[in-house]
Amino acid sequence: MILAYIYTGAIIALSLVIQGNDSFDVIKVAGVKPDLLFIAIVYFGYTFGSFYGEVTGFIGGIFHDSISSYILGILTLPKVLIGFAIGFISRSLLRQNPLTVFILVFGASVVKGLITLMLCFAFHDAYISDIISIIIPESFYNAVLAPFIFMLFDKLYDHVIDRSGY
Amino acid sequence: MDFIVRFKTVVALFCFTIFCIVSLALKSSTFSLSFTGVGSAIISPFQKGYHSIEHGVHLFWAGFTELGEVRKELEQAQMRLQKLEGAAEEMAQIKNENAQLRNLIGMKPKVGYESIPATIISKDPDNWFRNILVNRGSDDGVKVGMPVISYNGDIKAIVGKVVGVRGSVSRVLPIVSSDMKSGVMMQDSRYPGLMTGYSANAALCKIDYISRSAQIKPGDMVITSGQGGIFPQGLLVGNVVKMISHKTSSFQQVIVKPIIDYDQLEQVFIIMTETDPAIKELLGETE
Repeated sequence: MILAYIYTGAIIALSLVIQGNDSFDVIKVAGVKPDLLFIAIVYFGYTFGSFYGEVTGFIGGIFHDSISSYILGILTLPKVLIGFAIGFISRSLLRQNPLTVFILVFGASVVKGLITLMLCFAFHDAYISDIISIIIPESFYNAVLAPFIFMLFDKLYDHVIDRSGY
Repeated sequence: MDFIVRFKTVVALFCFTIFCIVSLALKSSTFSLSFTGVGSAIISPFQKGYHSIEHGVHLFWAGFTELGEVRKELEQAQMRLQKLEGAAEEMAQIKNENAQLRNLIGMKPKVGYESIPATIISKDPDNWFRNILVNRGSDDGVKVGMPVISYNGDIKAIVGKVVGVRGSVSRVLPIVSSDMKSGVMMQDSRYPGLMTGYSANAALCKIDYISRSAQIKPGDMVITSGQGGIFPQGLLVGNVVKMISHKTSSFQQVIVKPIIDYDQLEQVFIIMTETDPAIKELLGETE
């Protein structure tokens, strides 16, 4: 179990480094980087249930907010809500295959983007055009990468934790 | 206790949501200053730790990819240094001559500005916000509102302004951010306008309130106007990419590509000029 926490911590740290480091700007497509941390949160919610999803969403989101140096909570809340919702609905509805994962992550990314957009409207500043310039490209990028990342995580967590579900 | 264990998922969701909402609400209330202070103190060690990891990864990566490039850059830098040494001497003579001529015609001497170099610690790692954190803070004399510039080759251009200062770090709002508003003008025609980040493209800026009668073409240079009290007049901003006119408006919009590429930015210079306190008060900026 301790190994699972170490893996999760390492995944969160690695995702943030890749997202924040200029050396990885080569992975930018249409001006956006994929939200690797979010893909990991969807995986945890989907595979291990709502509790694991929302806790990973909260911890990862807090770190993400910290290095963003913006309002604490604006990137955390969408991750917590999606981490919870994914665990709650996906285990009972969907079976894991690449297409399912693609659709699941694309949908989750769009919803996350819309929640962030609403929070930005309320507490910061945002434009409807962000849907085209940020949400859609990021969601598509996340969805394309997700099946591979899910496969990788499946191998990583195969022997260290039981799949509990909600 | 049984209730919490049994419904731990819902309880955790409730607690996390409340935490986020309280944090967001406090930020937009009068408590924001103290809450931000406490938050900053807590997250500051993490930011520094993150920077160390990020820097380590960058160095590791650079060892593979940038060695050849660095060698080439070193040769170029040595050549440029030789040229610049000659230019510096020439410049000193011109400066002297200029001061004498200004004195002759009774003009006030132009106020120069000091700047300090700063390294970028982190950029926002998400696609939503565009802040930059640099390794200079109030300990180095940095204050809110100070302009930040950088170099693209030999060309000096604006990056943004300082919007938050702590002991050893500062937060910089770049010109490509939609929160940033700065007074600019066209270098040739001198038409003024108000520049902000262009929301449809994260790498561009847009200028509003430029008169429709202004003759502008793609490639025209945009400079700071000096109005607004933040940036000194005449600093380069970028080149015009396109113009947008609406029949119903007496103004046109101009889309600008900044000279400094936000994504490539590593080193900046903070100009140590203080914003007029009256302007600062008007803009509601506090340290």
